[in-house]
Amino acid sequence: MSILEVRDLKKIYTSRFGTQKVEALRRVTFSVERGEYVAVMGESGSGKTTLLNLLAALDKPTAGTVYLDGIDLARLPEKDVAAFRRDQLGFVFQEFNLLDTFTVEDNIYLPLVLAGRPHGEMAARLEPLARELGISELLKKYPYEISGGQKQRAAVARALITEPKLLLADEPTGALDSRSTDELLSLFAEVNRRGQTIVMVTHSVKAASRASRVLFIRDGEVYHQLYRGGDTNEQLYQKISDTLTVLATGGDVA
Amino acid sequence: MKTGFYLRLAIDGMRKNRRLYLPYLLTCAGMVMVFYILTGLAYSPLMDSIRGGMTMKVILLLGTIVIAVFSLLFLFYTNSFLIRRRNREFGLYNILGMNKGDISRILLWETLLTALFALVVGLACGMLLSKLAELFLLHMADEKASYALHVEPKGLLAAVVFFGAIFAVLLVVSLARVRLSKPLDLLKSEAAGEKPPKANWVFAVAGAIILGAAYYLAVTIRQPLTALAVFFIAVIMVIVATYLLFIAGSVALCKLLQKNRGYYYKAAHFVSVSSMAFRMKRNGAGLASICILATMVLVMLSSSGCLYFGGENAMRGIYPYELAISADSASPEDCTETLREWLLAVSREAAQGSESDLQIYTKLETGGMFRDGELEMERFYEDRSASELENVRTVYILPLSDYERLSGRSAALGADEALVWSSGKAYEGDTFAVKGCRKLRVAGTLSELPFRSEEYRSVTTSYAVFVPNWEEVASEIAECADSGQTGRGLATVTTVCGFDLPGLDGEEQIEIENRLIDIVEADMIDGTIPTEVASVSYKSRADGRSDFFSVYGSLFFIGIALSVVFIAAAALIIYYKQLSEGYEDQSRFDIMQKVGMTKREIRSTVNSQVRTVFFAPLILAGVHLAFAFPFVQKIIRLFGVNNLPLLIITSCLCFLVFAVFYVIVYRGTARTYYSIVSAVGERRAV
Ligand SMILES: Nc1ncnc2c1ncn2[C@@H]1O[C@H](COP(=O)(O)OP(=O)(O)O)[C@@H](O)[C@H]1O
Ligand SMILES: [Mg+2]
Repeated sequence: MSILEVRDLKKIYTSRFGTQKVEALRRVTFSVERGEYVAVMGESGSGKTTLLNLLAALDKPTAGTVYLDGIDLARLPEKDVAAFRRDQLGFVFQEFNLLDTFTVEDNIYLPLVLAGRPHGEMAARLEPLARELGISELLKKYPYEISGGQKQRAAVARALITEPKLLLADEPTGALDSRSTDELLSLFAEVNRRGQTIVMVTHSVKAASRASRVLFIRDGEVYHQLYRGGDTNEQLYQKISDTLTVLATGGDVA
Repeated sequence: MKTGFYLRLAIDGMRKNRRLYLPYLLTCAGMVMVFYILTGLAYSPLMDSIRGGMTMKVILLLGTIVIAVFSLLFLFYTNSFLIRRRNREFGLYNILGMNKGDISRILLWETLLTALFALVVGLACGMLLSKLAELFLLHMADEKASYALHVEPKGLLAAVVFFGAIFAVLLVVSLARVRLSKPLDLLKSEAAGEKPPKANWVFAVAGAIILGAAYYLAVTIRQPLTALAVFFIAVIMVIVATYLLFIAGSVALCKLLQKNRGYYYKAAHFVSVSSMAFRMKRNGAGLASICILATMVLVMLSSSGCLYFGGENAMRGIYPYELAISADSASPEDCTETLREWLLAVSREAAQGSESDLQIYTKLETGGMFRDGELEMERFYEDRSASELENVRTVYILPLSDYERLSGRSAALGADEALVWSSGKAYEGDTFAVKGCRKLRVAGTLSELPFRSEEYRSVTTSYAVFVPNWEEVASEIAECADSGQTGRGLATVTTVCGFDLPGLDGEEQIEIENRLIDIVEADMIDGTIPTEVASVSYKSRADGRSDFFSVYGSLFFIGIALSVVFIAAAALIIYYKQLSEGYEDQSRFDIMQKVGMTKREIRSTVNSQVRTVFFAPLILAGVHLAFAFPFVQKIIRLFGVNNLPLLIITSCLCFLVFAVFYVIVYRGTARTYYSIVSAVGERRAV
């Protein structure tokens, strides 16, 4: 069974006085299997962030449904949504979104503390994770003292420490230099290899080329998708580039 | 053209930042207003025409100085806050190609506009309200007022010069700040300084110790006179300690809580404690200032209010009769019937039949240390320890015949027997002795005096001892007093003749007093005054009242004026705190939601933090007030007001009124805070 099922998702933003409407998503349908690593590609403004916000129940769709592990997010009572997000989902953002009032360690603990876990358990979970992510040395530092790549790894640790069913990433490499980008992408690949389901939205071909499947959205719809099959990263990179070229020239992909 | 451009940019900038500027402008205008009102009143010709005008003038000018110093400090504080907020905008201008000269020109215009607004609005309101203030002041000083509007040019000039100078200095400081900064710093300066707070344990512990010591000093003060100096030291210590505690102590406390893992890693504490540390680091100084301001307002209002409202009672204590004439005699033998007759005659002649409740009595007054039923006559108590001072007594020796005459009761006492009255708890012991002199057996105690006594000196307990053979006993005690090492005049002999003047107002009573003085002086000149009279003194309650209320009325008036200014300042600080907190919490609010906190959770943690931050100063101010209480009580007792319940009521009332006001300010500013914080969602929606 799919871990994530998105059906006919539609989102229209209405300005405050209802005078202007922006259709960010028109009709998005796709599903994600357990253990998959899906990249969603699209131009800036094509509705990628909107899609992720809907998947995380941070926002409500205008129409359509999102099933996460068989649960209809729209049916979830308001008071349970936050707990659901905290326990089932991990979030990584382009701009890291670490709280500057916490040390790296406390930032990572945040979702567990909110879930009411005892400190011993939190520490036991953090130790191997921090080692894997290479941030063991940074735990006592504050966000302002570490680099962008390090911040993003801390954010990944925060997303993974709850052992979420689904890891959502919104342009996670967007604010990183190329070396940190490579490190982060390898990390994602490694995490995925161990069974973590990942949905990542990006407009970077390089980032998308590490996924097992790539969805393209344009004009608020899923327009096309590519499976990795047996391709290497380089081959997939080439295929994605070709697809984007065709999309850009307005043609249809067969 | 060019000038118009900068002017427009300045106006634009202020309008865009009206959330920041409007309260600032209003506060500036308010300070100018109060400053003008006080100086205007002080220099008003009125002060030369009314009784006690000189005292009032001095008090008003002192108040002006306090306002001036405070305005200076406060405007510096708010201006630096504003500039820090605006730096980002200036950085942007700078990057867009404006040089520092251009930015300076914008700043110049801004300052000019601010100064213009503050002076014009402040002085206009000042002129309008000064009449009201004048009426209020005169009412409190118990003086009659006229209703003509009067503009005091000296006050105007003082306000323009003083505030003009302040704004000039502020401008120089801002310009220097822009000149010294780099464009990128300007852009960043708002987010700069986000270093995590470090607990300064030395300061934190020092703060706690200093506060404890200050409280100890304030509470253990016994002698009101030496108290003034001690209390002053205690005040300084409290101020220092408050700053230390808010700046270092609060952060240290947060760090301590963070070390306690079981406590810290709980959903209810985790976010609060860690962001509280940051909040306190940034706001410590501001909160400490609020706390100090609040304490000053409370102490000032409660003490001056108690003096003012307790004044009427105090007047009765200090002036038991509406008018009294006392004649001192050289020795008890001189207290003859002739002397009494003369006192009665001059009193009746002056009062011309309007007197009532006339009483006349004779007393020998002395004092000293009283232990085990024995009085050791002594005049100076200064070098005594606090516990010894408890033993100081004022003692009156009075003729039993006066008691019998005034009370209408008869008492049969033998020689060396006495009736004793005490102003404190009832006299215990069977004997009353004057050391090395005379021992009397206490035949009974009295719960009330048959005449009105001057019970204002209630810092010490006093005894009244009635003896049948007064002349003999009093002479012996007077002789002992004269031969003692403490010097002559330790025991004084006085005959008091006092009466009320019902139905006469203050001025008429003072007229009678003047007539009485004239009559006595005429008697002195033509020699008809009895030879037994050594000196004469007069006490008129109406006269005392007008002095008293011109002092305490104007003190209370200044107290209210200063409180208004301090409260406005505290409100502005609170408002600015809320604003900057709001801007800083915007992004945090957003992140916490994404990490899995519900809106409700976020709101409640933020709420509790904001509340803690803003109510801590109020609570500490309340504690300060409580510890200042014993001192305040002693000081106002020194001024003749000994009314503990009244002081408790005024203190509680002041605290309550202040707390209500504080809550209103908090509510109002909290709304601004939430509108800023929730603007995140709106911005995204644009
Ligand atoms: N809160 C919002 N209110 C109104 N319009 C929005 C809002 N968020 C996004 N949009 C609009 O929806 C479209 C998709 O935005 P977004 O999902 O952020 O795109 P992407 O992440 O792919 O760059 C854009 O046109 C954007 O302007
Ligand atoms: Mg986006």
